[in-house]
Amino acid sequence: MVKLTLLALILGIIYGLMDINIGLIDLFSSHTDAVLYILMFSVGISVGLNRGIVQKIKKYHFKIFIIPICIMLASFLGGIVCGMLSGLPLSHAAAVASGMGWYSLAGATLTKLVGAELGSIAFLSNLMREIFSFFIIPFIASKFNYYTCIAPAGATSEDTTLPMMMRYTNEETVVISVLNGMICSAFVPVMISFCLEVL
Amino acid sequence: MDILVIMCLGILIGNRFFPEKYKTINEKLQLACTLILIFSMGRMLGSRENFFEELLSLGFTSFLFFAIPSIFSVILVFIFSERYMVRKKDRKLFKKQSESLDTIEAGEAGTVTTEEA
Repeated sequence: MVKLTLLALILGIIYGLMDINIGLIDLFSSHTDAVLYILMFSVGISVGLNRGIVQKIKKYHFKIFIIPICIMLASFLGGIVCGMLSGLPLSHAAAVASGMGWYSLAGATLTKLVGAELGSIAFLSNLMREIFSFFIIPFIASKFNYYTCIAPAGATSEDTTLPMMMRYTNEETVVISVLNGMICSAFVPVMISFCLEVL
Repeated sequence: MDILVIMCLGILIGNRFFPEKYKTINEKLQLACTLILIFSMGRMLGSRENFFEELLSLGFTSFLFFAIPSIFSVILVFIFSERYMVRKKDRKLFKKQSESLDTIEAGEAGTVTTEEA
């Protein structure tokens, strides 16, 4: 899976660099929303096939919020540490890390609100978070625990990194992963604004 | 929100109507969708103007901004999930699965799911 993922990424970059148009490839790669919907529907089927999952999830109660709260807090603190190390203003640094893997939104927002350089850092660092998550999840699944696999994925745990969760964890973690992704995604714009305006 | 609605629809169909025998086909569909999404991401990067120049000039700083928040997240989630979410029986099961996974991976050098392990 990891090798295939890497291969797909490299082939995609090469295709993008070549600046050519091949009908079928363009059709799929330019309708990513539709592909994502199919993926989510398919993941839903897998979850549904696992009987009793809803009961298992209900047992968590408020504990289900532990993971998104930890991710948001850790990303924010991580951003502050990065600011100290890189010399960037702490508010800007915390805003970059608050993207939590949502590179398109963080990159575009910070380009508009602060400037092109910070927007590029936000884009690249959050992109790295998403890409590296694909490769880190199998390692975390075998060395830590399943819930920890959600941590590097951050806001992307509800969509692109979900199949890795599906493959390397269990259905229970997948459902928590989707909820985590939704909560983190909802808070990305809030946290970016908070960092820029309050800090 | 629409993602959640679609997923819930999938859960309903999976729970009520979807035949168990097509489980493997469904998994293959997930793999295909994932690869298309990653390919599209690569395509977007490759066609982005000045992407490699940006990567060269801001690569280290960006790496720092990816690595530290990710590591912090992993540490914090691990500590809190171990403390409040992982049940005793799950811990035992996880240990067993991890050991089997390591053994199989060492033997076959291939990707194996924890469920298969």
